[in-house]
Amino acid sequence: MNTPNISVNLAGINLRNPIIAASGTFGYGLAFQNFLDLGNIGGFVTKGISLKPRVGNPDPRICETPSGMLNSIGLHNVGLEKFITSKMPEIRKVDTSVIVNFFGETVEEYVELANRLDQVEGIDGLEMNISCPNVNKGGSSFGTDLSVTCNVVNLCRKATKKPLIVKLSPNVGDIVEFAKACEDNGADAISAINTLVGMAIDIKSRKPLLAKRTGGLSGPAIKPIAVRMVNECYRSVKIPIIGIGGIATVQDIIEFTLAGATAIQIGTMNFVDPAICEKLAAELAPLLNELGVDNLHDLIGQVS
Amino acid sequence: MNCIILKNQKLAEGFFYLSIKPKALIGGIKAGQFVMVRVGTSSVPLLRRPMGIADFKVDGSEFGLLIQITGIGTRLLSNLVPGDNLDVLGPFGNGFPPDLKGEKIWAVAGGTGVAPFMGIAANNIFGNKFKLLLGARSADFLLQTSFFSDRGIPVDVSTEDSTKGFGGLVTELVDKNIKSNGKPDVMFTCGPISMMKALASVADEHNIPLYASLENRMACGFGVCLGCVLKKQNEDRFFTVCRKGPVFLSSEVEILNT
Ligand SMILES: Cc1cc2nc3c(=O)[nH]c(=O)nc-3n(C[C@H](O)[C@H](O)[C@H](O)COP(=O)(O)OP(=O)(O)OC[C@H]3O[C@@H](n4cnc5c(N)ncnc54)[C@H](O)[C@@H]3O)c2cc1C
Ligand SMILES: Cc1cc2nc3c(=O)[nH]c(=O)nc-3n(C[C@H](O)[C@H](O)[C@H](O)COP(=O)(O)O)c2cc1C
Ligand code: FES
Repeated sequence: MNTPNISVNLAGINLRNPIIAASGTFGYGLAFQNFLDLGNIGGFVTKGISLKPRVGNPDPRICETPSGMLNSIGLHNVGLEKFITSKMPEIRKVDTSVIVNFFGETVEEYVELANRLDQVEGIDGLEMNISCPNVNKGGSSFGTDLSVTCNVVNLCRKATKKPLIVKLSPNVGDIVEFAKACEDNGADAISAINTLVGMAIDIKSRKPLLAKRTGGLSGPAIKPIAVRMVNECYRSVKIPIIGIGGIATVQDIIEFTLAGATAIQIGTMNFVDPAICEKLAAELAPLLNELGVDNLHDLIGQVS
Repeated sequence: MNCIILKNQKLAEGFFYLSIKPKALIGGIKAGQFVMVRVGTSSVPLLRRPMGIADFKVDGSEFGLLIQITGIGTRLLSNLVPGDNLDVLGPFGNGFPPDLKGEKIWAVAGGTGVAPFMGIAANNIFGNKFKLLLGARSADFLLQTSFFSDRGIPVDVSTEDSTKGFGGLVTELVDKNIKSNGKPDVMFTCGPISMMKALASVADEHNIPLYASLENRMACGFGVCLGCVLKKQNEDRFFTVCRKGPVFLSSEVEILNT
């Protein structure tokens, strides 16, 4: 049997395989070189970048939950300037696709970021985070309001020629409306999903386990919700979908592909096994062989 | 990194010591560094558990973990038997400053906080001016004292219930030692946060630099999740415990000065 084809064309970005490391769980990529060869994964998404550096939320910021974790990191990042001058020169040397995740506190900030990042060499695509549930002023107010989403996607589209991916919030009534809004306003692809708002309480102290009370739930616990949302989006939009949420095994990747994902992202599991993206990439072709599939592409959306 | 369990020894009720052999050498361990331990292979518990390296061989052929059972992960680890596999990442973090040779150093520990000082003792890192002051609630919980005395390192102990050594808190024992022997050049500490805070104020009062090994919840252990931060003293900025620490000068971090 021939080796199955696992390469992917994602809105013009050529990925050697569909496995991308998710924003906020892979730093700026470089720290993972101790654990894997970045040349063996499809690509990675950087930590979310803002115009100015951000110190993030108070401690405690994380806690473990059954098959998952809550985080309220608060979009702590080095800021655009330092990202371009100190991270990009190193990132450019890496042989993998690089997607930069960004967010603003105002529509103008989003547009300025899209404009500035458009000029930076070595970035293969941009992922707009309109969905982060952590920051009062930022994320959630954009990604949960339909008309704001239309507006900010529309303006960012005009600001960049690079592939523009919009990362959707699952914390909305009907994610399909938002997926359509992104498609209608020029997005090249959507990422689904970001974290779900959750809360955990210490029963002895009666205090929330996170300083900000609530945080974003991620990890295997959210996988069935993510699969459902990817499938709903697939049935309503034509642009490619990047499936995200709780992926831990190569079987999970096939499940998301069947639901409608063209590529996938792995988040929380990078903490548990920092080499997981490379390991699953190596397991993908053998599994397709077993399933009698020549081309991963043939499985996209094939759930009956 | 794959490792094999060589020994699992119960030290006291709720405390055990794992002797571990990595399948490949992990060179360059420094006293005070930690590892991230995977508990089993299922998704509960999901995240790795941070554990300070206790005794270790400099060539990285063996190390130990001194663990207190406090929840599901540590309870599962307590069931390991010789020959079992253990998936470990690391070593991570900075460790205690190694360039203090010749100075009079006191290590002040409580409970499992004795662990990082075992590596210092086993590898004779600070020579004969190193001394351990160890506190516990009761004599049964003064862990690993003979490990130090067997290697010729002076050990002074305190118990809250006066079952052994000085009756009272280890910080009171430190005070008493300063009064009778003069102050040390530097102190190291590891143990419950309340103990380390009290020690920070003793150190401050006597103007003794204090290096404290701190903890926080961790998802990655190597600086990428930004989950393990602690606030810097007098600054609206954060340190990651896993990368900038876990050992901090007590004056640098807010948590030891409030
Ligand atoms: C740098 C460092 C070194 C450590 N060294 C040791 C050691 O040598 N011996 C030892 O017994 N313990 C040590 N700890 C504490 C140890 O990590 C926790 O006791 C352990 O994670 C508890 O897991 P659990 O599943 O039993 O408890 P649970 O309470 O069920 O754990 C729930 C979650 O909270 C986290 N958590 C709970 N307590 C702590 C804590 N104190 N610090 C960090 N995360 C915590 C767990 O990792 C887990 O994700 C260290 C912690 C750090 C950060
Ligand atoms: C600690 C942490 C930080 C994150 N930071 C970001 C971020 O900066 N921007 C973003 O768009 N998503 C962020 N995410 C969300 C992930 O990229 C991903 O969408 C989510 O975790 C679901 O995938 P998973 O279940 O595989 O982790 C973060 C997630 C975690 C756990
Ligand atoms: S544990 Fe992830 S940054 Fe420290």
